[in-house]
Amino acid sequence: MEKFVQLTADIAKLWAKYGGSYLTGMRNTLILALVGTVIGCLIGFVCGVLNTIPYTQNDPLPKRFLLKLIRVIVRVYVEVFRGTPMVLQAVFVYYGLPYFTDNALKFSNIWAAAILVVSINTGAYMAESVRGGIISIDPGQTEGAKAIGMTHVQTMLHVILPQALRNIMPQIGNNFIINVKDTSVMFIIGFPDFFAAHRAAVGASYLYFPSATVEMAGYLTMTLIASFLLRWVEKKMDGSSNYELVQTDQLTMTAGTYNHPDKGTPFDEHSREYQAERKGHSGKEGR
Amino acid sequence: MADMILQVNHLSKSFGSHEVLRDIDFTVSKGDVTSIIGASGSGKSTLLRCINLLEIPTSGEILYHGENVVGKGFNAPAYRSHVGMVFQSFNLFNNMTVLENCIVGQVKVLKRSREEAKAHAMQYLEKVGMTPYINAKPRQISGGQKQRVAIARALAMDPEVLLFDEPTSALDPEMVGEVLAVMKNLAQEGMTMLVVTHEMAFARDVSNHVVYMNQGVICEEGTPADVFGNPQRQETKDFLARFRSN
Repeated sequence: MEKFVQLTADIAKLWAKYGGSYLTGMRNTLILALVGTVIGCLIGFVCGVLNTIPYTQNDPLPKRFLLKLIRVIVRVYVEVFRGTPMVLQAVFVYYGLPYFTDNALKFSNIWAAAILVVSINTGAYMAESVRGGIISIDPGQTEGAKAIGMTHVQTMLHVILPQALRNIMPQIGNNFIINVKDTSVMFIIGFPDFFAAHRAAVGASYLYFPSATVEMAGYLTMTLIASFLLRWVEKKMDGSSNYELVQTDQLTMTAGTYNHPDKGTPFDEHSREYQAERKGHSGKEGR
Repeated sequence: MADMILQVNHLSKSFGSHEVLRDIDFTVSKGDVTSIIGASGSGKSTLLRCINLLEIPTSGEILYHGENVVGKGFNAPAYRSHVGMVFQSFNLFNNMTVLENCIVGQVKVLKRSREEAKAHAMQYLEKVGMTPYINAKPRQISGGQKQRVAIARALAMDPEVLLFDEPTSALDPEMVGEVLAVMKNLAQEGMTMLVVTHEMAFARDVSNHVVYMNQGVICEEGTPADVFGNPQRQETKDFLARFRSN
């Protein structure tokens, strides 16, 4: 029991001294994960769409060649960036650029380097997710769009991608949550994320376990909030399960066609007698 | 001949070594209501899909106002916007409401303004009796209602000819009537229609031309009175006898 008391005291001590840098780290982690995921999704969508442009033997040779080439390039990109660790990709990009240009070119902005690495890494995964999302849509949707004269791009933009996006939303959420955690490897190039805050704190205080506890709780909080928000977004995308019937007065008779079973009886509210009687009543009430 | 819309010449289509259509010839003129009947697998739907270029014919030509649409470099999307199609499985856009389904093609393909497109869509939705449901998504309405919306969507593009690919085959029996009623109305208003159907009563009573297909060729064609009343070929007689006995 006293160990937990000790842990609480240590965490309090850490928080008093490094609370600010933990919070800044969390903010940086969230921004990096969010921007990286969004840009990664855009890359994924572009790759996924390029990958699914149909061609037939009737198309001219240059078009077929170009489309084949695009597919090969996307395939290589996906395989390379999906098949290597992100921590190495960061090192590779961050130190590769100055190496090849004799320090003439380097990343002056650590944010740019980190976002670039996370984006292209996410893009490689999303390219496959988007491709899966597109081929999961019933071919009838494409045929319906084609039959009213839509081009491939119009079909994609207005019919297929909105539905594919909904279907791969869980995948996007997955990627975002993975990015929240995995951006912790960006300390390797000196990016000041949440994990870097841990390294700085323990370097000075030697409170390894209490700081790790703070990190665990921090990461879990961020991912739980993220998955809660993602569920909410998915629900929003599904829209209401109800719809309004629009009353267009199709059943209301227009003037001159007035007819109903009570016509001609004392209960006919359009008859002169009924109107007169009503007037009489309201008149009485008036007095 | 001036009012000829489509002319199909020597059309053939193979899937691999399987020849689905062989040397098909026929024409569609303005105001024609042509029913294509025949057993399943006789190539009716493939013929219709070839006409809308959803399948590329292996050989032969399809002339649209005298221009061959099968040739290379032909603007297929522009052609398709003049030739409407109604599918067996409706193919409404699941991400849009009923009204959006009928608007999107007009705005994106025909470049109409949204207001104009909406007014136009409402006009046809009213014709098929679907105005109360304009805010519903396709998954919220019944099969018959979906097919009526699909017809309105096709009509809203103001096509010159409307192709129907077994429009009632995926429907419950009690919903077939509502769709056939809409189609009958269209036929009476002079819409040019090409209908692949198993509804013999529709073929006999509504269309003015009947094509009987068997094993990838046109076996017999003529007026409904001729084909149903006095079939010449033995295959046609056998096929029709199966329907009469039901």
